[in-house]
Amino acid sequence: MPLLRITSPHAHGPMSTSRVMQHVLLATVPGIIVLTHFFGFGTLVNILWGGIVALACEALALALRGRPLAFYLKDYSALVTSTLLCIALPPYAPWWLIAIGVASSVLLAKHLYGGLGYNPFNPAMVGYVVLLISFPVQMTAWAPPRGLGEVPGLFEALLACFSPASFDAVTMATPLDVLKQNNSLLLEDLWQENPQFGRWGGIGWEWASLAFLAGGLWLLYQRIFTWHAPVAMLVAITAMAGMFYDNGSSASGGSPLFHLLSGATIFGAFFIVTDPVSSAVSTRGKLIYGAMIGALVYIIRVRGNYPDAVAFAVLIANFTAPFIDYYTQPRTYGHARKGDS
Amino acid sequence: MRKIFGFHGGIHPPENKHQSLEHPIRDAGIPAELIIPVSQHVGAPAAPCVEIGQAVLGGDVIAEAIGVVSVPLHAPTSGSIAAIERRPVAHPSGSEALCIVIDTDGEDRWRSLEGVEDYRTADPAQLLERIRECGIAGMGGAGFPSAIKLAPRNPIETLIINGTECEPYITADDILLQERAQRIVEGAQIIAHIVQPQEILIGVEDNKPEGIEAITAAAAGTDLQVVTFPTKYPSGGEKQLIEILTGKQVPSGGLPADLGIVCQNVGTAVAVRDAILDGRPLISRVTTVTGDAVSKPGNFDVLLGTPMAHLLHLAGYDERKNRRLIMGGPMMGFSVPTPLAPVVKTTNCLLAPTESELPTPPPAQACIRCGMCAEACPASLLPQQLFWFAQGKESEKLEAHNLFDCIECGACSWVCPSHIPLVQYYRASKADIQQQRKDQAKSDYSRERFEARQARLEREEAEKDAKRAARKKAAEERAKAAATGEGEEDPIQAAIARAQAKKAAQTNEGSGESELEKLERAVVTTQKRLDTAQQKLSAAEAEGSDLVDALRTGVEKTQSKLDKAKAALAEHQANHSEAPAAAEEPPVDAAQAAIQKAMQAREADAQKSPQEKARDQLGKLEQRLAKAQQRLADGRAAGEEDKIIDALSASVDKLREKISETRAQLAETESA
Amino acid sequence: MADTSYKDLSLNGLWKNNPAIVQLLGLCPLLAVTGTVVNALGLAAATTMVLICSNTAVSLIRNIVSDAVRLPAFVMIIAAAVTCIELLMQAYTYELYQILGIFLPLITTNCVILGRADAFASKNSLAPALYDGFIMGVGFGVVLVLLGALRELVGTGALFANMDLLFGPSAANWRIVLVDDYQAFLLAVLPPGAFIFTGLIIAAKNLIDMQIKKREDARKAKPVKGAKRVRVTGTIS
Repeated sequence: MPLLRITSPHAHGPMSTSRVMQHVLLATVPGIIVLTHFFGFGTLVNILWGGIVALACEALALALRGRPLAFYLKDYSALVTSTLLCIALPPYAPWWLIAIGVASSVLLAKHLYGGLGYNPFNPAMVGYVVLLISFPVQMTAWAPPRGLGEVPGLFEALLACFSPASFDAVTMATPLDVLKQNNSLLLEDLWQENPQFGRWGGIGWEWASLAFLAGGLWLLYQRIFTWHAPVAMLVAITAMAGMFYDNGSSASGGSPLFHLLSGATIFGAFFIVTDPVSSAVSTRGKLIYGAMIGALVYIIRVRGNYPDAVAFAVLIANFTAPFIDYYTQPRTYGHARKGDS
Repeated sequence: MRKIFGFHGGIHPPENKHQSLEHPIRDAGIPAELIIPVSQHVGAPAAPCVEIGQAVLGGDVIAEAIGVVSVPLHAPTSGSIAAIERRPVAHPSGSEALCIVIDTDGEDRWRSLEGVEDYRTADPAQLLERIRECGIAGMGGAGFPSAIKLAPRNPIETLIINGTECEPYITADDILLQERAQRIVEGAQIIAHIVQPQEILIGVEDNKPEGIEAITAAAAGTDLQVVTFPTKYPSGGEKQLIEILTGKQVPSGGLPADLGIVCQNVGTAVAVRDAILDGRPLISRVTTVTGDAVSKPGNFDVLLGTPMAHLLHLAGYDERKNRRLIMGGPMMGFSVPTPLAPVVKTTNCLLAPTESELPTPPPAQACIRCGMCAEACPASLLPQQLFWFAQGKESEKLEAHNLFDCIECGACSWVCPSHIPLVQYYRASKADIQQQRKDQAKSDYSRERFEARQARLEREEAEKDAKRAARKKAAEERAKAAATGEGEEDPIQAAIARAQAKKAAQTNEGSGESELEKLERAVVTTQKRLDTAQQKLSAAEAEGSDLVDALRTGVEKTQSKLDKAKAALAEHQANHSEAPAAAEEPPVDAAQAAIQKAMQAREADAQKSPQEKARDQLGKLEQRLAKAQQRLADGRAAGEEDKIIDALSASVDKLREKISETRAQLAETESA
Repeated sequence: MADTSYKDLSLNGLWKNNPAIVQLLGLCPLLAVTGTVVNALGLAAATTMVLICSNTAVSLIRNIVSDAVRLPAFVMIIAAAVTCIELLMQAYTYELYQILGIFLPLITTNCVILGRADAFASKNSLAPALYDGFIMGVGFGVVLVLLGALRELVGTGALFANMDLLFGPSAANWRIVLVDDYQAFLLAVLPPGAFIFTGLIIAAKNLIDMQIKKREDARKAKPVKGAKRVRVTGTIS
């Protein structure tokens, strides 16, 4: 047998794209468990159904584009996209809502731009925004958390998904929604008036956020991504909320802790903002990118039309990522710093 | 404790060094055949200076250095030259190269070697010459001739002896540190004597505790500092090591010497020591043989030119297990086409891995811009951007993103989760860009030439126009002059000039000397002018230009002027020389003498020149004839009209006539 | 262009050089008002009328207006035509006029109209110019209506809603519900939907063109029966 002729390097590290994706999927598990505990099996059904649709869409797009199916399906990227999207969707969403969202993510946001690695926008967030602007009613219908209402079982969750007409959903405004609608009560009173507020954020939400934080920290420990973007985002959102908190008047945007533990802040910081494809790449770029998302999230939450803003903030920041990268190129070894002679 | 600096990026691949460190250095012996490539270093290949069949002793020069950046080669043992031919070698290009093949006789007879008695008193230049003569080139992997590196332009502050050896698997430097620490220290001191640094550092990664212990012990009591630092690939890269030890970065496109730093590998230090103290040329090295496909991995002291197969055999090579033979480490080594290739000066390691050890890379997936490569890059480049541009062949963007600062360490490819062969893309792009630059330079040159030619043609055209206009004007004036009845003004002017000259001579006898000079100058310049005019005339005649008439009159005029100037000069000289003797006498005789003198001069001139002139003329006529004949032939070939052919052949005939005439003239003048 | 045949003109306007999906002219109204069929139809009709009027007028004066002032002159003509159409719509289809709003007067700036006036009408005699205006308008209109139909269908699950705005009260019940109990898919009706569907229509057109070309190539590539091998090397003595 003739000797193989390959150029260096001959060794390769243990990391692979599939493994990165698997890690991300694994890291969502604690959050999903907490969500399931508080809101029932809705999220789980979302994820399973979304995964099936995602793989089907991916296979379809690959077949149309004449790419090898097995090789690309194995990279788990479609599953990651659909899982992240489905976590963000309200539990007990009808099947078609999920299908449209996942199809938009995989086909529109990913494959129309050239597939994995070429999409300028975060596919999960594109799917989310498509759904949010098309079906605002369904997208803001969250189930009440355990303790405030009946938590449906697995069968009811399946029923809600695949036979929406026969499922009588109980919904409740999310804490962010309540805060947004408020214009007369002091925050303290608001907390007393509305049962969905928990210790820091919303009941269930705060624990889910902490679970996602745990998953995110594990990913950080596994060196799947660096700390820069998530930390910058969280710092920015904390700073914004801190600056405008004014001790809880009726015009207040909510406390920093509330913003950190409500909605998709933590989930977004560790699972959406860190999407490598659509974010800035350089270290300084990641800091700017993350901080920009944090600031935008607060601004859109408090001043915008929609209660949660992570998706919009991420998409807006995605636009700027190439621009940020262009201006934050690191100084190459042996080159003078700009400004130095 | 010395401050240790870090460098950006880097990776921690599995080291796999213990396998080859279980045994001390083994001697690889003398193989039946040594294959010595003439190019084992950076720079011009050495030129073989032996003949096939010639017997050589160990240490004999078998190939000489060509140019400055080159080193000679020596016979590693005694034997006879079997062949000088192309053989497969270990080279990234995978091609064959010219090799000198020695049939060894096993007796290992040596030419007598002589070391330098006391290098401390020796002239550094002499030591450098010795290093060069001994064929020493960098043994860390690059193979740059050491004598050049050790003769930097700038004064050196820091000498760094590189014992880092950051690549996985390789232990050649480690084992040197362990077993030959004393020789390394001696070599370092010799190098220090040459470059006179203020400090000497030996940099070693902290994964070689035994080596560090040995070298620290050997360096005790000398001015060598052993510096250890955390293990990280590629801290053994020259630029990275310099940053670790000094915190400075070698400027892009510059050399360490620009910072006052020189780096030498520990192996090179040992080779320098052997060359200076023992007079032994570089004919062997320590090479690591490792990988799961060899059962007895270890380090070997091996003669240069030993076929790799010989070495592998000693290490218990199982070729069934091996699909890839790598010279160097797994990060920067290159695959060897055949185990028949020889060990060379830069062969620090032979790696024979099994498939499970270093699997064949899977097909590349899409880049997800994860940025791990940018984190790992020791040059702080953006490998993912470079990859993007390399795919699009955007050379300008690649250069703007400093592609050429890439040291091809392979850290980016190692971390890439999508298994993209990034380094391969960069190598290809670099080659492309270099080719483009070459092409660009070539086309620039052609364009310049074209433009210059265009400008010349335009200039000539303009000159021609100007001359034509001048001639027309001159003709008009002449016509006018003829019409008004005025004769040539020259005689009158000449008379006036003569009178003036005479007057001047008479009035300013005190300043006669300067007057003489002036006149002499006039003669010389006029002579010059005449020469150029004649040249032009003959050129014009040769070209058959329509300027011939004008030029001819010009020549005639200048000739007459020259005559006059000469006459004036002679007159003056006569005046002057005779003035003291017969001051009162009228200068009639003098003038006549001058005229005579002038006549003589002219005759001499005429005697000499006609012959030459005729020869010139003849040459030019022949040229013209050739041209005319060519034109005639062309015309015939092109099927021109009869009229034109006739005219051309007539002109050819005329030229022939003229030539024979000139020949006759020439013969006449020669006989006369 | 004396030899312009009406067949070529038709083919150009409707397919090969369609103003909306090949020349990509007039994208602003195309994207803005094609939320429903009736809007699309209204704008298509208005645009076609303006095109016919302007092409006719421009063709008539083409020999009188000097080159230097031709563009202002054309714009004046178009603006006049648009004003007329606007007034007519105000008179007869007031509600549609209100829905189309600013996009009616903006027809003046529609590049299709000025483009045809300058590129075709100003160089051709009356009849071809008139026909060109008509067929370009139809080509533009077809795409408009197609896009409107797609967006209305996907957005609301029904077709031909509010046709009474254009065709009078008798058309009020023309609405066809294709999918019962359809959840409104707002994205299709919103501007992003316009972009996405325009892209899909262009893609479909290119796909059809490619198929046609492939078929033609296949036909051409068929060897002609009875053709002899031609000697191409060596000298012919």
